[in-house]
Amino acid sequence: MESVWIDLLVVFLKIIVILAVALGVGAYLTWVERKVAAHIQRRPGPMVVGWHGLLQPIADGLKLITKEDLFPRYGNRFLYNLALVLALVPATLVFAVVPFGPEFEVFGYKVKPILTDVNVGILLVFGLGSLAVYAIALAGWASNSKYPLIGSMRKAGVIISYEVAITFAVMGPLILAGTLSTYEIVQSQIEQKLWYVWVQPIAFVVYMFSLLAETGRIPFDIQEAEAELVTGFTVEYGGMKFGIFPLVEWYIEVLTLSAIGVVLFLGGWSPINIPFVGFVDPLFFLGPLSPYVWFLLKVTALFLFILWLHWTLPRYRIDQITEIAWKVMLPLALFNIVITSIIAPLIW
Amino acid sequence: MVKRMVSKPLSWIERLLFIDFIKGLSVTIRHAFSRTITTHYPYEKLTPPKRFRGFFGHKVVDGNEPQPAFDEWVERFNIQVEYGKSRCVVCMLCKRACPVPQLFEIEGKKLENGKRVVSVFNMNLMLCTFCGFCVDACPVDCLFQSDIHETASYTRRDSILDLETLEKIGRDWQMRREHEPDRIWIDDEQREKLWHENDLRLPEPEARGRHEW
Repeated sequence: MESVWIDLLVVFLKIIVILAVALGVGAYLTWVERKVAAHIQRRPGPMVVGWHGLLQPIADGLKLITKEDLFPRYGNRFLYNLALVLALVPATLVFAVVPFGPEFEVFGYKVKPILTDVNVGILLVFGLGSLAVYAIALAGWASNSKYPLIGSMRKAGVIISYEVAITFAVMGPLILAGTLSTYEIVQSQIEQKLWYVWVQPIAFVVYMFSLLAETGRIPFDIQEAEAELVTGFTVEYGGMKFGIFPLVEWYIEVLTLSAIGVVLFLGGWSPINIPFVGFVDPLFFLGPLSPYVWFLLKVTALFLFILWLHWTLPRYRIDQITEIAWKVMLPLALFNIVITSIIAPLIW
Repeated sequence: MVKRMVSKPLSWIERLLFIDFIKGLSVTIRHAFSRTITTHYPYEKLTPPKRFRGFFGHKVVDGNEPQPAFDEWVERFNIQVEYGKSRCVVCMLCKRACPVPQLFEIEGKKLENGKRVVSVFNMNLMLCTFCGFCVDACPVDCLFQSDIHETASYTRRDSILDLETLEKIGRDWQMRREHEPDRIWIDDEQREKLWHENDLRLPEPEARGRHEW
């Protein structure tokens, strides 16, 4: 009985920490994005509120919260609000299976820095990722307006195309690791002394493309397409309701998918890898903190890379996007699976 | 000369290695780590060029009037010329030239010595498009456009320029910028620097990848 209460307490603490970190960091990533975008365009970005505009997200949040709550005539109020919940919850739930570091002991009690180490973690990630399409479809439908509907239809098409590609892309690392649990995948990468990106470059490229498509980042941001659709499915949302959609789509989802990408391809919390030889850790002086810092560094690097892509590339057309998904990415991923499943059993 | 009209399609090796992506990314990363080129507006301000079309003003009589036009108009309308007052001769040509004439409200009055002088000159800038036709029409170089462009105000009343305000803007202008040579960005060091930094020499055309020809 004792241990059940302790378990519950630990889980509760983990939930609090993960939620606080995810939402707080998500809000502050708006600032990061604005800074990166500004510097790519040779502007300084937000500079006035706080040191180098550090308090800007708080100011924006205050402004959004105090704005009037508008609702379109003849819209469906229940679905309109449900879309918000459906967008926010699955995106944050993915953090439940993101492992932040190796197991450690507190007062003789073993703690894994992962909320639930379920043995089908990756399945959970993509199940929850597919739920995002409901949020967007409902948001477009419930708004009773043309632009949101067009935007949500486009986004639904893109997500459905790329869900297939991303699932097949992930298959390669799963074959190599032999497990679906995110924690075990990282463990097996450490045991095999190999980041899977070295042997699965095709899968990694397909994964990155699908990540950009699922989160609506720029080469695939037709659901927003400011030039033609204003802001797509968020047109009829106002105030903080408008703020939540980009927060979820552009920041929390990118963050979760980057974290999963790091877990699958870049060895989670392991330091720099020399394939088949071992790991080199330039951060050894941090001691037990070093794995966490490595994980954080990798996710940050991947996130910044995505921002960099966002502010560089132009936008594809909808037919080009689906063409890339079905004609290029899916065959590539299938080819990768075939090769991997032939060669992997010979080596391991 | 052979002019290439369509860019070469990417070769398969370029497609495979994302060469076009990498080219674009290298451009943006170079810009990301170079100096910003903006002005921090409320704290730093650029001086607009002398020909800027901002708020209107009346130049005042200071001995630099365009001659013989000014004397001719003064004689014709029997105008009282007073040093430091508006050069306006109440000819109404600005109102004739204006596409929205009702924004001008011009009246003259007769003094006791029989001479005339402008008494009312209101411009309602809420109707104004800053096209500058009135400035072109002014025969005595009185009405002009200054470099004042921060025109936001709390009341509609503030957007109506009366004779006093116009003269004030004119005096200010004649003190600050009247003698400046008519060149762009003359007194602005930062702007000047940027102008030369972006000293654009067109690169030699060479056949590179896609989207460049």
